[in-house]
Amino acid sequence: MSAELSTATTSAAPTMKLTGIGKTFARVQAVKDISMEIRQGEVIGLIGENGAGKSTLLKILTGLHQPDTGVMEVNGKEVTFRRPQDATAAGIGVVHQEQALFTNLSVAENIAMNGSGVKDQGTRFGIFRWRILNQEAAETLARVHAKVDPRAIVGDLSFVDRQMVEIARALRVDEMVHASPLVILDEPTSVLERDETEVLEREIRDLKKIGSVIFVSHRLDEVLRICDRVVVMRAGEIVAERATADVTEDELFALMIGHNERAEVHSRDREGAKPAPILEVEGLRRDHAFHDVSFALVPGHILTIVGTNGSGRESVCRAIFGAEPYDGGVLRVGGEEVRSWSMSKAVRSGMAYVPSERRVEGMIGGMDAAENLTLVHPGAARSGPLLRKRARAKIAAEWFERLDVRPRDPALDLARFSGGNQQKVVMAKWLQSADLKILVLDHPLRGLDPGAAETVNRQIRAACDQGTAVLLLADTLEEALHMSDEILVMRDGEVTARFDLSVEAPTAIDLLGKMV
Amino acid sequence: MSEHATAETAAPETTPDPAPPRRRFAPRNLWQTIGPIAVFVVFFVIIGILQPDFVGGGGLGILAIQATSILLVALGQAMVLHVGSLDLSNAALAIFAAILLALMLGPLGAVAPVLCLLVVTAIGAINGLLVAYTQVPSFALTLGTLGIVQAASLVVSGATTVYVTDNAAVLEPLFGTALAGLPAAFWLAVILAALLWFLLRRTSVGQAMTAVGLNESGAIFAGIRTRWIKVLAFALSGLLAGVAGIMIIAQAGAASSFGLGSDLLLPGIAAAIVGGTAITGGATNPLNVIFGALTITLIPIGAATLGVPPQAQSLVYGLVIIIAVALTRSRASGEIVK
Repeated sequence: MSAELSTATTSAAPTMKLTGIGKTFARVQAVKDISMEIRQGEVIGLIGENGAGKSTLLKILTGLHQPDTGVMEVNGKEVTFRRPQDATAAGIGVVHQEQALFTNLSVAENIAMNGSGVKDQGTRFGIFRWRILNQEAAETLARVHAKVDPRAIVGDLSFVDRQMVEIARALRVDEMVHASPLVILDEPTSVLERDETEVLEREIRDLKKIGSVIFVSHRLDEVLRICDRVVVMRAGEIVAERATADVTEDELFALMIGHNERAEVHSRDREGAKPAPILEVEGLRRDHAFHDVSFALVPGHILTIVGTNGSGRESVCRAIFGAEPYDGGVLRVGGEEVRSWSMSKAVRSGMAYVPSERRVEGMIGGMDAAENLTLVHPGAARSGPLLRKRARAKIAAEWFERLDVRPRDPALDLARFSGGNQQKVVMAKWLQSADLKILVLDHPLRGLDPGAAETVNRQIRAACDQGTAVLLLADTLEEALHMSDEILVMRDGEVTARFDLSVEAPTAIDLLGKMV
Repeated sequence: MSEHATAETAAPETTPDPAPPRRRFAPRNLWQTIGPIAVFVVFFVIIGILQPDFVGGGGLGILAIQATSILLVALGQAMVLHVGSLDLSNAALAIFAAILLALMLGPLGAVAPVLCLLVVTAIGAINGLLVAYTQVPSFALTLGTLGIVQAASLVVSGATTVYVTDNAAVLEPLFGTALAGLPAAFWLAVILAALLWFLLRRTSVGQAMTAVGLNESGAIFAGIRTRWIKVLAFALSGLLAGVAGIMIIAQAGAASSFGLGSDLLLPGIAAAIVGGTAITGGATNPLNVIFGALTITLIPIGAATLGVPPQAQSLVYGLVIIIAVALTRSRASGEIVK
């Protein structure tokens, strides 16, 4: 269905109306009972923590997911989106979180890509008519006042120009329906510099004259400046709707987080002086990612870095493990400055890294679980250059039992296990080490069900109790507050705050305030 | 994981077993295990029925003689394929080794083969270093070294056929002695295949090679020094090409720079693939490559038996390779093909 929406633009019906939208994945309900209206010419801010259900909702609005329950109406007519093209045809344009332009094509080609097959004057018999194509692109760009040459190659443009091209492209949807379009901007500012953000803010406010906007952002000050109304999501539900005129940043924080959790001051009865740090980072810098980052990891302590997308914390972790280079500063492991750092050196000096890209970086698909488990630290599974299969099977069986990995079959290809069970094996691979000094965890609980998450957290604490220093990137602030001895907050590549949880107890809002 | 998940699923416990315990003998694994033997046996029986003289008249011995150098080149290729690369230069290296040996055997005697092996192993290792450190795809890089090695062969041989002048007796036992009707040279190649099997299945270096072939990023993140693993694979390819070169001289007593290894290159790759080696890396059984090499050697013989004109033999090669890859490829990875 979806396309025949030639209702008059001036109808009083809201641009989009949702009633009771719900969606469940496997056993987890991602969004439930979402009802909201977006009126013409309105800019709505959509905010919520990671995992609050924003992305799922956006995917439903743009036809990537189909809701299990509820009704969607566009301009007063009920619609069903079976695929993204249906949403486009109904006048919904989206600017994705990661820029989705083809960097090797020209601006005009990129803009034309969104409309191909719908209003297709730019091509004749599948062949580009460049003059018309460029002219159309220029018109589209003019609507958002973007001063970009349609013939320029996207790869040569600045970030903000690319973002404008994306917005222009998303706007083209209204040429397909003669109704006011809805443009969804999914964290458009997270990659932009401050002054670029200002340009974008101005343009978004101008979009109101053309259509409606859903603006998703972690930066609450921006949301308050740009939007007319703010919708707050938490745990898959809409928990509040506020006009931006009647709400403050602090109130929005509180609404996003719900109960304002406070860390306990844990003086985890450690007698005596704090041990000497095993890893010291001093003024570490990587161009375009982070700068002037300093901290120390202490045996038996968990240090958590929190921050939004683009805070640079992932890069810091990867630089420490040797997975990314750094451009300046000092990295000391066990008191000695490291030179020409690499992942194999990191591993040999007792460091472990659990990456967020598990399937690509964390494991060897196609190899059985037992082999994966003993790949780095074989222990008894290896004597000299030779592998000992029986010892390997025994080690694997023990870990499978201890971490409750299912199915209990270590001879099975690791790629065939579920995400949670894979992650347990990945953890075991490092915990296997007799001498694990530093454990770097990049979103170790991502995509895990609560049971597996609990098992992994227990293992992290157990490693810690045995004197391993842990560097953690947590998915949620609660996770950070529960697990950490020290919390570092990063924003835009800089450390903006540190909290020593043995002396003070920050709340989630304290952390968020330094993140955005 | 966010709080909503916790809230939603507070009551139920952990994940149910998602992956049914399907075991090794799934159809495609079955093919990879016994497929190459089965194909060889079927081909051999068909030819035996159509041409009883071939089997009766020591055909297997002839087959083994012809298969020996293809097998050695294929084993080297299999090692490189195992780490996810491709070595287009190894057949040319075999010819280069043969030419060097033909020239040196007279003056140097028994030292000559050792020297040859050292030289080509070093060239193989250089291939590996260049692939590992310049990030040039192995396909392109070894295409380049192929040209260089060919030029070196032409220069060293004076662009002509070179003959062994003296000390030919050093290599005589290789094809002069037989065990169970098959030449010692073939058995030597079989022993090398068994050693490689042991390397891949029973040593940590072999495990690292498998890891690199299956998922190079994953291997790097596991702290494996993947560059050295690649150097090792290419060095092994060079070494085995050198052994193949020795076999060429032992069998023919001469080496020609004219063919430049083109009659070994494609059969070598084909034998590795028909032997169940996955071109995507990580799945290699050197023992099966033996049967891959025998099958590939059988193709021209079989084609002649069936009356296929020699001009059309490439066609049969081509068909066999395409079918073998289609059968061995894991379809688990979906529609994406490199």
